[in-house]
This record gives sequence, structure tokens and C-alpha cells, in this order.
Amino acid sequence: MLPLHASPRGKMHRHAYPNGHTALPMGGSGTFEIQPHKFQPRSHASTRRRRSNIIKAIGAATAVLVILYFVFPSLITGAIPVLSFGLLAGSEDFQLETVRYYDLNNVQGTARGWEREERILLCAPLRDAAPHLPMFFSHLRNLTYPHNLIDLAFLVGDSKDNTLQLLNDLLVDVQKNEDPKQQFGEISILNKDFGQKVNQDVESRHGFAAQAGRRKSMAQARNWLLSAALRPTHSWVYWRDVDVETAPFTILEDLMRHNKDVIVPNVWRPLPDWLGGEQPYDLNSWQESETALALAETLDEDAVIVEGYAEYATWRPHLAYLRDPYGDPDMEMEIDGVGGVSILAKAKVFRSGVHFPAFSFEKHAETEGFGKMAKRMKFSVVGLPHYTIWHLYEPSVDDRRHMEEMENERKAKEAEEKAKKERLDKIHDQFENPSGQWDDDKTNIRDMAKQEIVKEVSGEESEKKPEKKPEQPTEKQAEKKPEEQAEKNPAKKAEEEPANEAEKKVDEHTEKHQEKLSEKEPADEAKTEKTKEIKAKIVDPFDEIPVIGKKDAAPES
Amino acid sequence: MPARGLGRRSSPITLVLLVVLLIGFFLFFFSSPNDAASKLRDSTHTASNALSPPSLPFRKAKANERPPPPPVVHYHMNNVTTSRNPVENQETVLILTPLARFYQEYWDNLLSLSYPHELISLGFILPKTKEGNAATAALQAQIAKTQSGSQKKRFASITILRQDTESPLITQNEAERHKIENQKARRSAMAKARNSLLFTTMGPTTSWVLWLDGDIIETPESLIQDLAAHDKPIIAPNCFQRYYDDEKKEKAVRAYDFNNWVDSPTAKEMGARMGNDDILLEGYASMPTYRSLMAMMHDESQDPNIEVQLDGVGGATLLVKAEVHRDGAMFPPFAFYHLIETEGFAKMASRLGWKAWGLPNYLVYHYNE
Repeated sequence: MLPLHASPRGKMHRHAYPNGHTALPMGGSGTFEIQPHKFQPRSHASTRRRRSNIIKAIGAATAVLVILYFVFPSLITGAIPVLSFGLLAGSEDFQLETVRYYDLNNVQGTARGWEREERILLCAPLRDAAPHLPMFFSHLRNLTYPHNLIDLAFLVGDSKDNTLQLLNDLLVDVQKNEDPKQQFGEISILNKDFGQKVNQDVESRHGFAAQAGRRKSMAQARNWLLSAALRPTHSWVYWRDVDVETAPFTILEDLMRHNKDVIVPNVWRPLPDWLGGEQPYDLNSWQESETALALAETLDEDAVIVEGYAEYATWRPHLAYLRDPYGDPDMEMEIDGVGGVSILAKAKVFRSGVHFPAFSFEKHAETEGFGKMAKRMKFSVVGLPHYTIWHLYEPSVDDRRHMEEMENERKAKEAEEKAKKERLDKIHDQFENPSGQWDDDKTNIRDMAKQEIVKEVSGEESEKKPEKKPEQPTEKQAEKKPEEQAEKNPAKKAEEEPANEAEKKVDEHTEKHQEKLSEKEPADEAKTEKTKEIKAKIVDPFDEIPVIGKKDAAPES
Repeated sequence: MPARGLGRRSSPITLVLLVVLLIGFFLFFFSSPNDAASKLRDSTHTASNALSPPSLPFRKAKANERPPPPPVVHYHMNNVTTSRNPVENQETVLILTPLARFYQEYWDNLLSLSYPHELISLGFILPKTKEGNAATAALQAQIAKTQSGSQKKRFASITILRQDTESPLITQNEAERHKIENQKARRSAMAKARNSLLFTTMGPTTSWVLWLDGDIIETPESLIQDLAAHDKPIIAPNCFQRYYDDEKKEKAVRAYDFNNWVDSPTAKEMGARMGNDDILLEGYASMPTYRSLMAMMHDESQDPNIEVQLDGVGGATLLVKAEVHRDGAMFPPFAFYHLIETEGFAKMASRLGWKAWGLPNYLVYHYNE
């Protein structure tokens, strides 16, 4: 028997009444004493006195006990298990295991953990993650690693949606599964709000300056989760983001096989076609470069280098960019910074103190700082460039803006084309197309010119001399067309003078002039001597008008 | 009998008895679950599954039935407080001890702590050496005795970890242990042991972590309450040692732990000139740092509640709010700003915005070899 059972019996008479159990042993004899059916002369006064005394005593005792109960509840609480459930409570207490013994040498992590029944702690920090949870749980169910060896730990913080409720429901559902192989190990949901340190509007969240602070608070959440959930039974710790869309079911075994202290796969994401189909996603897995080390030297103590921003050009080889879709998925690459989407690490890494620095550790924070710290403690940190998992594509703010821009552009283009078409139609409807007329004119002129040539050729000899003669005076006049003026000078002058005076006649003049000019083309074909001069002058008939006017005025004055 | 008496005629006495009985039954039926709830070892402080934080005791599964699937457990860490009145707020304390040798005085001192034992969890880590085995055996014997003894003295839960140390030092002799060249390796291994212990035993319900070395054999009974009352993220009492002064022929005390200090410009300068992996050590004549040591600030005549802000702390006795560790402050096993182990811990905590404090006139005593 337990000592517990024996000891309380001594106390029995002290706190008897509240549970009534001791009423018999204690008050029992009194009860029988005052039984009225005894052959004794009844003294009314005495019995009444006795009765009232007893009633008083009992009443007082009850009152005292009730008061005691309210004033010192612990006193009676102590007595209750003793008096009432002494045996039961004692046996329950006996069932309570308070001492645990663990040999940490058994949980160092090996390449074939599933055979040695090594436990994995799967950690997932969550915040407003309700939309991704069903997908995440389908991944969980599909994991081929024995589920009973996987302990799940979630940290839900600062969530405004129903993440917590949904998570609970999904987990309860998973554990209800009849098949014990589908049930997971320990499941803890940690509820902790860190308070919104960073504004959630677009600019502050994605601005480079905000990144350091954001990374630090993410790191804090990860550390809280790990420190509360890591047990002496864990050989491995797996960090997984809930928004991974596609990953092999065997990912735990695949990563474990490499038997590295810290190992990450390559993380890409699918993209819409207009963005190129796919894209490296996690740029936090990289190898250190001389440039970055030199840069780190120049920064102040609290500065944090965040990879993937133009502000710090580090020229580091990124795991993501080294991917070859047909490369060997088992190929390893030493890295220094680690991305947090999917990290498998031996629990001993975390046990020895490596964590996600929420301060600037060697100018890095969170998962990148984790990689740095693990390296500092001489752990192996490895990435698999050709083993890829796919992150969910959610259009980023920039992408959304870009998509919006593209949409706007498309609409603008459509509108423009429509307007253009309308204008063309309008023009088509309202104006005649003179090009037919032009063509006709051209052919007419050509015909006329041919006829002229034919004439010239026939009367070449007779006309040659008179043509040359008038050419000289026209040349002196300068810029006057020699051939025609020789023939039409008198007529033209007669025409030009009235044109100068009356503007109405300008139109007629230009028409005629035009005719003259077009006549010249075929003429040129025949006479190539001065065509250059002429061509340069007759480009625009309208130029001619003021020139002519001036010329006319000039000799007169 | 009362029943018959009642049948014959309603005697006031029987009525009273009936009422008393009824009250008794009511109290019994209604109060017992509440009482159980107010009791600490109830469902919120007990895990139902063996897969649970080691800081909580758990109910053993019955041998003849298949264990139910582990439940989904919610921990509301927003409600875990660290206040000036830890007893009033029922804050749980995790006492962590890296143990190399077991001293009975240490255990006796632990048992005499006046903080409610049902709020205390213990964690030990011992090396897998011959000496460690002996210490484990002694420790387990004491634990068995305590945990089956008086309810009041029992601790909520106890975790014992064993681990191979990476640089097993053959001896733990005072002289050998303190050799300067051995210090870095020793303290690096020590830091790893501390981290292993810390990160595997700290549960989601832990409010405070008290680091108490295995060779601290005497502390005030109200150690935890006294230190917590200062409401500091990290607080260290002054660690002294009792000895027999041969000259004066009397018992006396002397400073023991020199790792509690306020930084000096000299030390900073020395650090700046050092290589990345070199460490500064305190208490070695060959390396004068001119830091202000808390051990030297002790003045018996002064108020024991005087606080001093520290830049480096020792691990002999150290009360830390759990959130400091949760934020990531650990014991660096590498040179962190040229500091290692507990001193590096203070530095890392300060990088995270947590300051360390010391009580120069509040003493705890180290074992004298």
C-alpha cells in the first residue's frame, strides 16, 4: 500500500464533514445515544436541552467547516482525495510518470532513419495560412515516412483568418484515421502573437528596408516554435512552408539519405506563360562569395544582407540558378546561406544551439543566418541543385501590378486600334480617294510626253538651234526654267502679273504650274543636261509662287 | 438509525444530520472536480501521452490496451507569464543542471527550495563517462526517493539526459579543468551540453529557466522568488565559496565565479585585435582585461537587493526568463564576439535586446573541493 493511504487516516477527524464520509465514525455514537426509544422517563427539559445543544454543536461545526472551506480551500482539497477517493486518487497518482531518461547518443540521426525508427519533428510556422492548409495536409498524408514517427508542431501567430480552427479540425481528422499507420505522433499547436511589428501595406512589406525587420520577426517565430517543440526523442527536424505546391512524397527519405547535418532541395515555382513558365523561387540558398564577404566587412553591426535585392550585389552562386532539369538529383553542393521553404536538419544541430538568428549574425538573419551559424559550428550544410520542389505561385504585388499593366496596355491597344479603324472608315466614307485620278493623270501625261519626244526626234535638226539660243538669257535670269520659258515666257509673264495682284488667281496658276512641272518629267528623260538643277527647284509648286512674285518685283525695282 | 427515526417522527436531530449529510454529498460531488482542477497535477499540467513535453508528467498507458492516438494539444503561449510574483501566478520553473559529479548537498539544497515543487521541473545532462555513470546512479537513487516520498517534496517532472561530450576531458580536477588552454574546448563542450539540455527540456508551458550548477550546494531557500522579484530577463546572484581560513583560523567566504562582469575598454580593445575564433577569458593573470567583476563588488554591509547591469554572466546560478531563450539566446559553443558559453550568452541576449543583471550582495555558495 502507498504511504499516502495510511497517513491521511490520522487527519480524518479534522476535516470530516464536507464529504460526509466520516459522519458515521465520528458522529455515529452520538446518534445512537440520542435515540429516543429507550425506557427512560422523559425529562422534557433535559432532552430539549440536550437536543438543542447537539443541534447547536452540529450547526457550529458545519458553519466552521463551510467557512474553512471558503477561506482555505486548499486545506480541504488536501483532505478530499484522502478521505474520499483516497484509493482511486492514489492509484492515479501512481500512474503518473514524472521521470524520463534519454540517451542523446541514440538520436544523432543516420542515413536510414526509417529503419532505426528515428523520430522527425516537422515544424511549420503559420500566419493567415488557411487557404493553403488543405493542400499542406494532402502533402502530409502522402508522406511515405512512417507517420507515427513524425511529430507535428505548428506556431500560429497574429492570424486574422480562421487558420487556428481549420488547423485543429484537419489535425483531429487526421488523428481519427482508423489505420494507426496514418496517425501522427505528438501534435502541438502553439499559439503566440508577437504583435505586428511591420506594417502590412505593400510598400513597407516589400521594400528592401523592411526586409531585415521582417526576417528578424520570422526568425523569432521559428525559434519559439523549435524551442517549445524539440524533444530529447527527435533525431531530425524538418522545416516546411505550407505553401509548397508540389513535392515528392519521399522527400524526407530522399533528403535523409544524404546523411548531412543540414540539407535543402532546390525550390522553384511555376509561372504563367507570360512570365516564362517557371522561375527560381528560393534565393536564400547560396554559396558565400568574396564580394559578399568584403561587403559584409563594410556594413555596420546591425545591418542584414538580404539576398535577391539589388541593393546588395553579392555575386553569390545561388542554388536555384544552378538547376538542370535533367541533372542528377543526388548531386550535392556546399552552401552557406539556407532558404527556409524545406530544410531537413539533424536534431543535434538544433540541440547544440544553432538557431535562426533574430539579430544580425555575421550580417545575416533568419534562415540565412541559420546556415551561417551551422557552418560556424562546423556542421555540413548542403543543397541539392537538381532535386526540385515547387512553391505555389501567387502573383506577387509586382506581378499583380505587371498583370494589371499588361491588361491596361492590351485594352489601350484595342481601343487605339478601334479608333484608328473608325477614323479610316470615316475618311473612306467622307472623302473620295483621288489616287485613281492621279494614276489617270500620270498615264495621260506620259502619253503626251511620248508624243512630244516623238515630235522632237522628228524635228530635231530644225529645232536644235532656236532652242539653244533662248537658253542663255534664261540662265542669266537664274532659277527660271529654261526650256519652257523659252517657249512660254511671254504667255507666263502675262499670267504671273495678274496673279500677283489678284490672289484668286493663284489657284489657277498653281494648277497650270503643276501641269508644267509634270510635263517636265518626261522632258527630263530626253534631256539630261540640266535636270538636277531643275529637279531641285520644282519639288513643291507652292514654293514657286512667292519666288516668282519676288523675282518679278525685284527686276522692276 | 436515522432513517427509521425519520419514519417514525421527524426528529430535528435526524433532520440536521440529513442536512449535514446532504451538504457533505453536495460538497463532495461538486467540489471534487473543481478541487482537482485547482490542483496542479490536473489535465492542464499533465500530459495524457508519453509523447509530450518533458516538463510535464504524463499518465502511463495501461499495459493491456492499445494506446489511443496522440491528441492535438493546444498551448496558449500568450498566457505564459514571467512576473514578479511567480508563485501567485503559478509560473513554472525549469531548473537545469549540467552534472558531472553528484553532491548530496546539492540535492538537499534543491529539496529545501521553498518554491512550490509541483511548479518545478528538473533537467539534468550527464556525460557518458565512468564518472558520469556514477553520478547518474547517485542522482537516480535520490530521484526515486524524492518522487515516491512526501507529496510536497515531489517535483513535477524530471528529465535525465546522457550525452557523449565531444572533447571528453579525462579528469574533472579543479586544477586541470581551469588550465587556460583547456578552457576553450571545455567551455565549448559545456555550451553544447547546456544547449542540448535547454532546447530539449524547455516546454511550451515553461516560464522561467534556472541554471543551477551541480556544485552549488547552498542557496537561500527562497532563491527563485527572490531572483524573480527583480523582474529582470537575466539575473545572477554572486557565487561565493566557503572555506576554512588557515591564517585567521576561522570559516570564511571568498569569491568563486568570475564570469559575472561589466565590460571594460581594455577588453574591447583586446577583442578587436584578436582573431575571429579567439576568446577572451576572465580570471587569468596572463590575460588582464580590467573588467569590473561582480565578485569583487560584494559588500556584506550593503542591501542584498542592489542590482548591477552586467555584460557577461556565469552559469553557476542564473535565472532567465524563458522568452529570452525562446528568442534564440543560447550558449555559443564558438567565439561570439570573442566570448563563449555563458559569457557569450549574455552577449547574444543583449543583441536580442535582453539585458543581464547581477546581485553582488546576494550570495550562493559553491562546493569547495
